[in-house]
Amino acid sequence: MSFLRFAARRLAEMAATLFGASFVIFGAMYLAPGNPASFLLSGRSASPEALKAINAQYHLDDPFVLQYLRWTGQILHGDFGRSITYRTDVSRLLADRLPSTLLLVGMALVLVVALGLLLGWIGAVRGGAADSTILVSTTFALGTPSFVAAVLLQGLFAVKLGWFPTGGTGDGLGQMIWHLTLPAVALALYLIGMLARVTRAAMLEVLGQEHVTVARSRGVSDHKVIRRHVFRNALGTVLTTGGLIVSTLLVCTVLVESAFSVGGIGQLLELSTTTKDFPTVQAISLIMVGLFMTVNLVVDLLHPLVDPRVTLGPRRSAA
Amino acid sequence: MADPQHGSRSRSSHRRPALPVAALAALALVAACAGPPKSGDTGGGSSYQLSQDTPAAKGDVDSFTWALYAEPPTLDYIAAFDYPQNTILSNVCESLMRWTPQLTLAPGLAEKASNPDPTTWVYDLRPGVHFHDGSVLTADDVVYSLGRQLNPDNAAAWAQQFQNVSTVTRTGPLQVTVKLVQPDSQFNQYMATAAGVVAAKAGIEAAGKDYGTTGSLDCTGPFELGAWNKGQSLELRRFDSYWGTKAKAAKAEFRFLTDPSARVNAMITGEADGGYLIPTESYERLRSSGAGTLWFGEGLSTVNVNVTNMSGVLGDVRVRQALSLALDRSGFVKAGLGGAGTVTGSLTTRAAWAAAPAESRKEAFEGLTPTTPDLARAKALIKEAGAAGKTVTVATSPIGQDVSLLATAVQAAGTGIGLDVRLKTIAPNAFTSLFTSAEAREGIDMFPETYYDSITDPLDLLANFKTGAFQNYAGFSDPAYDDLVKKATTTADPAQRFAIEAQLQKIASDQLLWIPVAEWPTAVFLNKRITGAPTTISYMYYPWAADVGAAR
Repeated sequence: MSFLRFAARRLAEMAATLFGASFVIFGAMYLAPGNPASFLLSGRSASPEALKAINAQYHLDDPFVLQYLRWTGQILHGDFGRSITYRTDVSRLLADRLPSTLLLVGMALVLVVALGLLLGWIGAVRGGAADSTILVSTTFALGTPSFVAAVLLQGLFAVKLGWFPTGGTGDGLGQMIWHLTLPAVALALYLIGMLARVTRAAMLEVLGQEHVTVARSRGVSDHKVIRRHVFRNALGTVLTTGGLIVSTLLVCTVLVESAFSVGGIGQLLELSTTTKDFPTVQAISLIMVGLFMTVNLVVDLLHPLVDPRVTLGPRRSAA
Repeated sequence: MADPQHGSRSRSSHRRPALPVAALAALALVAACAGPPKSGDTGGGSSYQLSQDTPAAKGDVDSFTWALYAEPPTLDYIAAFDYPQNTILSNVCESLMRWTPQLTLAPGLAEKASNPDPTTWVYDLRPGVHFHDGSVLTADDVVYSLGRQLNPDNAAAWAQQFQNVSTVTRTGPLQVTVKLVQPDSQFNQYMATAAGVVAAKAGIEAAGKDYGTTGSLDCTGPFELGAWNKGQSLELRRFDSYWGTKAKAAKAEFRFLTDPSARVNAMITGEADGGYLIPTESYERLRSSGAGTLWFGEGLSTVNVNVTNMSGVLGDVRVRQALSLALDRSGFVKAGLGGAGTVTGSLTTRAAWAAAPAESRKEAFEGLTPTTPDLARAKALIKEAGAAGKTVTVATSPIGQDVSLLATAVQAAGTGIGLDVRLKTIAPNAFTSLFTSAEAREGIDMFPETYYDSITDPLDLLANFKTGAFQNYAGFSDPAYDDLVKKATTTADPAQRFAIEAQLQKIASDQLLWIPVAEWPTAVFLNKRITGAPTTISYMYYPWAADVGAAR
């Protein structure tokens, strides 16, 4: 299958999935109990006129299908509607909060890839005490959910030692990076452990394979063998997990942002869900799904470049 | 303040890459971020004292930082009906009347409010009051500002408080007259809340649909809105042309710290100088931190267990009485409120009756639900009602310690007297919808709720049991009760009104539609740098930040 045809097919699939997801996302909010109008009125002063006015303004009384069509139509025009709780355009809400989240996820991703690969490599190649240490520490990392890591990091580095702020984002890139360091570590910890384990296992497997033994017996330097054959092979595995790593980061950012009071998309999603702010929740969910799919698409397109054994088309099962 | 539930964690071994990779990654999605912890220590029953104020400030400060548990969605006064927005807005926008730190009513932007006949309120405005944009307050601004609350298209949170208003008109350059369709003893009191806020007509019109979310609020308060860093923080700057006593701080920065432990950590490390609404489980931690002082004030708040279903076993008042009699209120106060609270058998706080004649107060608080457990009597009532073994479902949620511990206390009480009490755990967002949606309340017999009054009048709470009232979850309907609510509303004389309210309190208490549990004071933490903030719930509508200054 040609690269272009493959890419076009995947894009079409993505559009279809996104469409399906949009329906699920839109419907899900309506299945949960509660009505945004009554949330807005805080329960205390819901005069029938006020309820009617809000329902009319946000078309909450329209049939479900009509609401769905109106929503998708708006989105195709780049309009995510108006937030019910924040009484402002959703796109502006997102623009205010997206930078923190992207920076946080980006910082965590760098940590995961750099440390995960490095630790996995050292574990597989060095063996012995280094390997044991890495095995123990990655076990610890894998057993520590991000919210626990958040509390531990905050207690030690922010409250006890005072090296980092306890939360918030700060102004300017330098400040932002300083504020987001602890959240990024909390977010990355589990995935560093996971990636280190995966890299180590993949490399060990290749190390034991025939072609490596053959290459070594031919006198190719150890370093070259590991880089060319072993690590490259492991990289394919890493890439396969890539989509899932990014997805995990996006999902977990909700909790880490809350723990560190980072006013990003994750925190906004949590708050908007609580108040049943339909337009905001729908927009964020859709964007998250879109990001997942984009990352998976990029991974699929990059895979053959990294690992020549992979052919385009339906992904073969590696075993 | 939503805390998602803990997920379960599981482990798997992973030797080979291919399949385990996917399994691991799927696990990662679940396990890596199962949910935040609940902060643990429960302090115990340390004593606390109520005060109205903290020591007065010794001088000015450049700025102070305040921790808030959430960001206000908008600062438009017509939508200001929750802690975060009111805590900020009270310093920026002023109302016709003012609620004092002592929770009494005083003149605000109106230097005089008169009531020439039962359906007329005349407000004479303070001359020479400047809006933040420099223009001067006139009667037109008042007519316009109140008009926004009245317009049903605006869906104002305060619309209910204007239900008896027929017209708001300018009767002089500095005089506004409000005509009512029937006497309303509560109306003028609500003019001290965000319901009575006055903002500049020109400013609101210029901001259009963005009013309250960007730019100035165009009000008259001691502070004006500065930079609002969405999702993070909001800054108030001292307004130098303020008509009253100028603020002691040049700048007040509010930081939105949604996670309870992050909020407390910020106060301990000095990143925040103080805050209201301290998580109960953190009282001890703050006290022992040595960073500052934890103060308590009158909150006009009661913690209750609200009955939502009268068609089940709770339809029999004897069962409600039995549950109330079996409840370990003091145990709840100790564990659920960090020891800071008092058990009560009254739905309304004592402070709500502060202005009432001794006689009415005595009547209102006499013969209420006993607060000391009496299991023998409770068991007898259950037997009498033939309710032994019947099921009662109580909603609970990991939304806060007060909710989950109270639900557990109800379960313990019910089980002790032979009821089959089931806890139904509900996610925080669904729990909040119990307050607003009848659908959400289906299958639930009762749930814990903390209620605060917006004015110092017991009717604010007692009107909830009127037929068809929004928070009348049990669907209680008693024409005699409705008549009394109407009578209290139309009675201008406070003494007469309190007497009627005492009768209402009696009926509501006998009915136990909400089982009263405890009075919950407000808490405020101030570190060693600053002082001056009032401790009472007045901070919702009183410009408290203007009083905050240097402690030394």
